[in-house]
Amino acid sequence: MSPIAFIAIIIGVPSLSLLAYVFIRGSVGLRRYILTRIVLTLPMVFILGSLVFLVMRVVPGDPVRSALGPKGTPEMIQHIRQELGLNDPMIVQYGRFLVQMFTLRFGNSLIGGHRPIIDEMSERFPATLELVTPASALALAIGVFGGALAASRRKNVTDYGFRIYSVIIYSLPIFWLGLMLQLLFGVRLKLLPISGRIDAVISTTLVHRTNIYTIDALISGNWPAFFSVLQHLVLPTITLGLILSGIFVRLTRINVIETLQADYIAAARARGIRERVLVYGHALKNAMIPVITLIGLQVAILLAGAVLTETVFSWPGMGSYLVERISGRDYTAVQSVITVFALLVALISLAVDVIYSLVDPRVRY
Amino acid sequence: MTALKERPPEIPSDITTWEVELQKVGLLRRILNARRWYGADWWFVTVSAVLVLVFIMIALFPSWFAPFQPATLVGPSFLAPGAYPPVPVLVVPNTSLVNSLKDLASPEGQPRPSISVVQGGNTAGALNDAAQQIDNQIKNEPGGLRLRPIIDRYPTVEEALQAVVDGRNNAAVIESTEYTSITAQYPTLREGQSISGGANTAGGFLLGTNDIGQDVLSRLLWGTRVALLIGFSSSVVALVLGVPLGLLAGFIGGTPDRLMSLLMDSMYAFPGLILAIAITAVLGPSVFNVIVAIAVLYIPTYYRIVRGQTLSVKEEVYVEAARSIGARSREILQRYIFPNVIPSVAIIFSVNVADAILTGAGLSFLGLGLPPTIADWGIDLARGQRFIQNAWWLITFPGLTIMLVVLAFTLMGEGLMEIFNPKLRER
Repeated sequence: MSPIAFIAIIIGVPSLSLLAYVFIRGSVGLRRYILTRIVLTLPMVFILGSLVFLVMRVVPGDPVRSALGPKGTPEMIQHIRQELGLNDPMIVQYGRFLVQMFTLRFGNSLIGGHRPIIDEMSERFPATLELVTPASALALAIGVFGGALAASRRKNVTDYGFRIYSVIIYSLPIFWLGLMLQLLFGVRLKLLPISGRIDAVISTTLVHRTNIYTIDALISGNWPAFFSVLQHLVLPTITLGLILSGIFVRLTRINVIETLQADYIAAARARGIRERVLVYGHALKNAMIPVITLIGLQVAILLAGAVLTETVFSWPGMGSYLVERISGRDYTAVQSVITVFALLVALISLAVDVIYSLVDPRVRY
Repeated sequence: MTALKERPPEIPSDITTWEVELQKVGLLRRILNARRWYGADWWFVTVSAVLVLVFIMIALFPSWFAPFQPATLVGPSFLAPGAYPPVPVLVVPNTSLVNSLKDLASPEGQPRPSISVVQGGNTAGALNDAAQQIDNQIKNEPGGLRLRPIIDRYPTVEEALQAVVDGRNNAAVIESTEYTSITAQYPTLREGQSISGGANTAGGFLLGTNDIGQDVLSRLLWGTRVALLIGFSSSVVALVLGVPLGLLAGFIGGTPDRLMSLLMDSMYAFPGLILAIAITAVLGPSVFNVIVAIAVLYIPTYYRIVRGQTLSVKEEVYVEAARSIGARSREILQRYIFPNVIPSVAIIFSVNVADAILTGAGLSFLGLGLPPTIADWGIDLARGQRFIQNAWWLITFPGLTIMLVVLAFTLMGEGLMEIFNPKLRER
């Protein structure tokens, strides 16, 4: 089974079954909402794809000429243009692009072994997934608890501490944070590896199934590989997680403060419920509802951050693939990666909206 | 028109006077009166504004601040911050009265001083030049002193110094760094001045030098120019395009608004850096192209805010009143809606410059966008990463500078936000 199928099963089956469960057990309004939202995703994918097409084709500048650089002769340029179908009318190219996007058949890469791009991506995408998942979890953990803590100790040292934290985190270039962590933990303290996903020697013993190395190592019970992967994961995860956590702290703090002023909290306080239960039980739960939507909006920061983090840590994911292919002037691959990013944005925003509708019963059509 | 018969609306008592005054005054007076009216911290804005001004000054006149040109090779490579390039220094016996090279001069006819040096390197050459210069200077002075030392070359530092200990040579000329490392072994010797006569520690590099011997500090200061250029111009371009689009879309409404918003929202949802990567990949590297790419990213930010505000202001009574006395659309947009939008645009602009600087640095860190010859923080960081094992200063300082600049602009935006939207303060 190909890795891409494995990933599809790992992500797809649980989310689809959840969706099916919600759909069957949910109210009529919820059902209608989810259906409408799924249908609305199609135009979003369409628009995002068109945006990519617009940027890649209509922006002045010849991709083939910039790909070949100064050494490209007019004949070579003409030949490659013909091969890529860049000489066809714009509308034909656009149609072909849309078909490619919806079928995920991106063609072959222009450099290296001219392998199908979807195969190359199926090696790179799991790496990004393996980085982004724990990083988001870390960011969420810091953000939610930090934000709630800051809100409950309003105008206190803790509160100001977290506010300064989120402002500073916002101003930190993510790649610089990565470099500093490498310098401290990798070079000075020699505690952690600073690049790659797994120790080169150990990697030969690892059987690649999903290309998500932690899962591969667990499936085959390969403990040395598992620990090596974990070690390599630490610094990139912290880098990406910290950068994301700044905005989460800020959002959670504002929302918890607002919720704490609500009447039902005052009522609960009057009944003598302890402050801790009040903040973490009552207020946080309700404050999280708007935060979920805002988390959906942070996908952009997450993906952009992943590109930079992967480059700093030589993490062979989608982001470093994109950067590699740009410097390798592989135009087809670049366009495909950006298209996949667009698809991801649309899918994640769908997922967030569905989850939101589950948590907040007010959002129904 | 029943409203005309009613009494003029009174100000509800729970609205404080400053809230009313706030609606009546302009931008500057709000900043000045913010503290008196509702305790907003104007010093917050002031401090960050001063910081921003300092950076703008550096960006405009980097040569006033930077000790060197960014691209010239001014020193040895990989010199640590605060370290000094090795200088040839005079080493003499403790008992000697000689302190500088000039003290070794002797009257014509007397035996010439002999100096030991180490073979190879440029010590002997430097010594020769320095002696020549001093000799030219003193031979016309009264006293008839000349300085024409005999230079003895030894294979190692130890032998050169031993020759001085043994009295075979009057002095030795050794690179300062080499001498300091073995100074303990020669208790009978002491260090004199450098052969150029100055202190031994002339010409240090505050933040060190990079792999090819450029001054890190100078590159930082010159890098401010391109960073701020990108930050400001892309934000201005985005503002000039985004604000009118937002005003029009919000004012006209209907299908044009819906189409425009669809496009803008999808651009907004797309990861900005990746869009910029795509645009620069197609356009090719140059400062202008980076500005274009980043400007495109931020158009939706202005568009969304301005459109939202236009939509709400459009429904205000005074706009309706203006319309009823026959004001034209253009006039309404210009005199009634646009002024209401300015404060939020100012806030976004400040935050946007910060964001654009970050994005620009990210692009050049990835090796996209800027030609590699430009002094830029992102490029310096990417170059420094290759030497992370032995030169921490190459990656530390450019990043700190980016952070400081971004912090200054962000804090200014935050401060302005507090002043313009006093209700947000309570959050």
